[in-house]
Amino acid sequence: MTARKSGSRLETEIERCRSESQWDKIPELVRQLSAKLISNDDLGELLLGECKLQTYLKENPIKQGASPRGPRPKLVEVRKHLTAALDRGNLKADYIQEASVLMAKLCYVEGEYRDALGHYSRVNMDDMQLVGAPVYRLSMIAEAYATKGLCLEKVPAISPSLSNKNTGSPSSNRSTTDREQEIITCYEKSGDIALLYLQEAEKALSAGIQNRSPKPGPTAQDLELGYFLETGLQRAHVIHFKNGNLTRGVGRFREILRAVENRTTQSLRMTIARQLAEILLRGMCEQSYWSPLEDPPTVSPLDDPTRQGHTHSKNYSLSRRPRVYSGENLFCPQENTEEALLLLLISESMANRDAVLSRIPEHNNDRIISLQSASVVYDLLTIALGRRGQYEMLSECLERAMKFAFEEFHLWYQLALSLMAAGKSARAVKVLKECIRLKPDDPTIPLLAVKLCIGPLHWLDEGECFAKMVIDMGEKAAEFRAKGYLAIGLVYSLKATDASLRSTQEEYQRKALGAFQRAQSLSPTDHLAAFYLALQLAVSRQIPEALGYVRQALQLQGDDVHSLHLLALLLSAQKHYHDALNIIEMALSEYPENFNLLYTKVKLESMCRGPEEALLTCKHMLQIWKSFYNLTNPSDSGRGSSLLDRAIADRRQLNAMTLPDFSDPETGSVHATSIAASRVEQALSEVASSLQSSAPKQGPLHPWMTLAQIWLHAAEVYTGMSKPAEASACTQEAANLFPTSHNVLYMRGQIAELRGNMDEAKRWYEEALSINPTHVKTMQRLGLILHQLQRYSLSEKVLRDAVQVNSTAHDVWNSLGEVLQAQGNAAAATECFLTALELEASSPILPFTIIPRAL
Amino acid sequence: MLAMDQGVVEEWLSEFKTLPDSAVSNYAASLKDKGSLVPALYKVIRENYSDLLEPVCHQLFEFYRSGEPQLQRFTLQFLPELLWSLLSVSAARDPHTSGCIEALLLGIYNLEIVDKDGQSKVLSFTVPSLSKPSVYHEPSAIGSIALTEGALANHGLTRVVYSGPHLQRETFTAQNRFEVLTFLLLCYNAVLSYMTSTSLQSLCQLSSRVCICGYPRQQMRRYKGISTRLTVTSEFLVQLITGIHYALCNGEVELGSKALDDVLYRAQLELFPEALLVGNAIKSSLHGAALKSNNKEGARSIQVEITPTSSRISRNAVTSLSIRGHRWKRHDAVDLGSPDELMDISEVDEGVWPGGVGPDMTPPTITISNSVTTLNLGAKAMKKCRLGGRTSKDKEAGPLTTGRAASENTELSIKRLTLTSSQSVPKAGALTSLTRTASAVFSRSFEQVASGNAPPSSNHTTSEAGRYSCSLQEEGLGYLSPAPNHTQRSPSISVHLGSDL
Repeated sequence: MTARKSGSRLETEIERCRSESQWDKIPELVRQLSAKLISNDDLGELLLGECKLQTYLKENPIKQGASPRGPRPKLVEVRKHLTAALDRGNLKADYIQEASVLMAKLCYVEGEYRDALGHYSRVNMDDMQLVGAPVYRLSMIAEAYATKGLCLEKVPAISPSLSNKNTGSPSSNRSTTDREQEIITCYEKSGDIALLYLQEAEKALSAGIQNRSPKPGPTAQDLELGYFLETGLQRAHVIHFKNGNLTRGVGRFREILRAVENRTTQSLRMTIARQLAEILLRGMCEQSYWSPLEDPPTVSPLDDPTRQGHTHSKNYSLSRRPRVYSGENLFCPQENTEEALLLLLISESMANRDAVLSRIPEHNNDRIISLQSASVVYDLLTIALGRRGQYEMLSECLERAMKFAFEEFHLWYQLALSLMAAGKSARAVKVLKECIRLKPDDPTIPLLAVKLCIGPLHWLDEGECFAKMVIDMGEKAAEFRAKGYLAIGLVYSLKATDASLRSTQEEYQRKALGAFQRAQSLSPTDHLAAFYLALQLAVSRQIPEALGYVRQALQLQGDDVHSLHLLALLLSAQKHYHDALNIIEMALSEYPENFNLLYTKVKLESMCRGPEEALLTCKHMLQIWKSFYNLTNPSDSGRGSSLLDRAIADRRQLNAMTLPDFSDPETGSVHATSIAASRVEQALSEVASSLQSSAPKQGPLHPWMTLAQIWLHAAEVYTGMSKPAEASACTQEAANLFPTSHNVLYMRGQIAELRGNMDEAKRWYEEALSINPTHVKTMQRLGLILHQLQRYSLSEKVLRDAVQVNSTAHDVWNSLGEVLQAQGNAAAATECFLTALELEASSPILPFTIIPRAL
Repeated sequence: MLAMDQGVVEEWLSEFKTLPDSAVSNYAASLKDKGSLVPALYKVIRENYSDLLEPVCHQLFEFYRSGEPQLQRFTLQFLPELLWSLLSVSAARDPHTSGCIEALLLGIYNLEIVDKDGQSKVLSFTVPSLSKPSVYHEPSAIGSIALTEGALANHGLTRVVYSGPHLQRETFTAQNRFEVLTFLLLCYNAVLSYMTSTSLQSLCQLSSRVCICGYPRQQMRRYKGISTRLTVTSEFLVQLITGIHYALCNGEVELGSKALDDVLYRAQLELFPEALLVGNAIKSSLHGAALKSNNKEGARSIQVEITPTSSRISRNAVTSLSIRGHRWKRHDAVDLGSPDELMDISEVDEGVWPGGVGPDMTPPTITISNSVTTLNLGAKAMKKCRLGGRTSKDKEAGPLTTGRAASENTELSIKRLTLTSSQSVPKAGALTSLTRTASAVFSRSFEQVASGNAPPSSNHTTSEAGRYSCSLQEEGLGYLSPAPNHTQRSPSISVHLGSDL
């Protein structure tokens, strides 16, 4: 007390011991106290009663859910002390209150709830001062409110039908509600005061450490909440939720969490933060949410409508409240996911701190507990972040969970999936490998890995391994078996495209075909199996067979864009250009923004309807591109900005990259020519896949690559029209984006050729080849020019190389024939011409491989 | 359809038209009392050929357009049923019959993607960060936060767009169908708390059917509707899962868990990581929680019990907290829990950033992977640390103060100075003649390692340059390798420069 006399060191010492629950020291102190003054006897009785009661409770703690029963022999003494203290009436008012409150607590422990309530009614606890009260008294008051609440719950209200709520007259109903309200108020007050007590106790403790002693005492030990304080802190919201009053429950949670934490409340805060996050994620939605600093809505769908008489705000006030987090610019969530995330991040940081690292058997249980409490938090984080598509952040959070993850499949798998969703493919594959080790029977995991290997990573050898794992599972893989064959077929198919030797190419094509056939027979209702079978047949130029399967694929999935595209290309290979164009137009009515279809359309149009139409399509493409990436909002920045903003940011790096040629993958993106090129590619595909995760647009095309592509297509149409100036302007646009792209250089060569400037053209072609030595189209043009310059043997060499790279390019065969003819090698020339003729008969307007192959 | 139902629907169709504007909100509140209306409307939607379908769709759209929240929710409760109707009809390739449902759905979509002024709406939220004080915490109490790329990027509070801007759509095409439907589900999920259990059941049914039709599991579920496979997208499944999660926790245990299983089944077959991720998390988080099915009074099954507040972990177990104070004997040999193998990958993953990036063009972000475990300094020392670090002058002063603190502690201490500056750089898109503002958060962070047994030298400035193992190089080189002169003190801090993607 503030008015305490300075001389009484003893009293201070007693107060400290009471605050720090050092009950074993009390009897000695009491002895010293009564030696001083006779009037201290009563106080001594009080202190002895208290210390014996507390010691008893420490030795025989009350368990949650268990109710105490009957008098205990050990407590007889306590009653004697307290009765003595109260009876004489010499105590100061403060101490009388303390004695009565202790007496009531004793009654509760002995199961005498009515008696306890009687004591409480005599004290009038609302009069007990909070301001300036010593720390131990705060705890005492908090316990008293909690105990009163407990007693009120035990003792039936005036009308004996407390338990069944739906019977009885309105008046008894009302008194039931009043009673409930009284109980809740008791607990809420108890909780508030308990929080205040804990804050003050910690303050006193740390002050104590500073004042006293380098001597390490028992001071560092954590305060322990007893049964009563625990009940006081938590029972109120438990009742709210039991009654279906979610609004109040959430409010109570928030009050507890807003109070400044201390060491004792940490574990409680972690639990409550997690529970509140659960409620926010499971039971609330954006429209029913209200922010922690707002008043709750008066009517909320969250509350059980069958129960009347809910009040939404608390109806008491305390003279002193626990300190809450305050200050300027406090972040206050405005949305349920935000609040859930904040709470989960807080819980996560605590859970992480408690991660039990040691693996010795004695700590097994501890480890399991820490793992469980953390994995709940990580699961909730996944739910919250997944809803908002924040996979990158999620993957970082889950990375922190790896502390717990030794041999824990769930955490590893979730990390792998999050990395995959965040576009961190290479790492995802590594983590998936660990998942396969932990759970070798699950076919999904290797399939996910193949998906990444085939797609963004282009790690075909690894992909083959993973696909074989699925196949090796045999019947166990059930429905995934067909997927396994599909996967390995795709791997072979891509390897065939990559292979530089014709024999390897054919070997892989054969293998791919076999795998696709197997997949198709295993899962005849899967349109993908039929489609890829058709695609592979098309690549091997078995056009009629391919047509059969693509029709089958379309029967299974009528609006599949790739099947439609393939159908159009197959028709164009049969030289039914108008039919092909019709199919493309039909496909475009369903996929108006698909650039791949549009490129094919440009080609077909310049073939069937003349270049003007094709140019119109190019213009249309530019418009689509603009409307697609043009949606921005200037207010936000950084990570969340629109696609175009991000694209602008990305563009600066793109200057240095070459433009992989999506319209001609035989040379461009898929063909890993050199290590450098493939690394660039890899970087690009990571860019592309990270874009994809946020953008709903189809295809992993980078916006700027798409734009350059459009310009190049336009340039090509112009060269077809013999308009070098326009073509040059279009090429320049593409060159602004990708100055070192071989496609741009190739196009420049074509324009130079158009202008009759052979030397310049040759130079451009040579430059293009120095960037991409396997660009077949460039090789073919260069061969032609060399031919014209009468450098036959060099020309022959270039063209032979080109044929080696792509044996199905009929114009190369043709040029090669011409060169050989010019050299007088008529027999070889004839063979070349025949090959060219044969290939031309089955040549599509654009290579079949422009259709993406992915799992 | 019974004549009585028809009567109810017809009455409902006529009464709203005659309503004066002032009475709309009362009318909206009174809709709840019409018990037979909602089931009758479900019947109309399910029977695709009913004459009433078109006026009903029209009326539902009018409700939505009125802007009255209760009326909007009334319309939204039918969303799952409408989606199923649309999808099943389009799978049956009979596009003409669902014209009015398409129109209704597109109408709602087009209303929702714009704000009041007709501008494209962007849905965004703030990613909370533990390094900023909030109503629930104080950064200093959290202790050190691992210095990862994400931690740096989130150093401030970041506003992130999670949906939008979207284009206006006039028709459904195969390309935009799921984009529109995903957005509509997002709207539905925003009002989940107001949805009736019938609506939630319908959502679960929709989810199951979309996912299993045409797959072997269809026989298991004995659903005999259409049997063609429906294409789905991962985002669509994630939205479905969000709704299912709510249903699962609010009384629809049986249907909900069936639906969740079916969605996961499909996500596995399609190899969708996003849907698998969220679905697995829900399954695992509900695993322990016993769900009370359909208890009569109020179907909410959120249960909270009193939990013991004392830590359940015994004091002598080694935890990540307790290990922080551990003093490592050989600093150079410390492998900070990051196997080499994983290190390589992170390098591969970050990709190669080509040179030639103009220093004035790209604000580089620094990634410091493999951050050193940071010791918990006393709160006071941390504060002192934080006080510094705004200007370079303060930065130099920082270590001096904390150096003293460290020597007092005679503990190995590692402290961190954080320097953040944000800049907004307006940029012009040269090609498209579109001017955009791109701003980037530019944060640098230095982590300094100092050991307590090294006495703080008086001429700190000279030793400073050597101490910061990661310095900022804006020349735009792809990599900075660990500072060679630091092999002794700070093991493997590698720095990447790269633009924030």
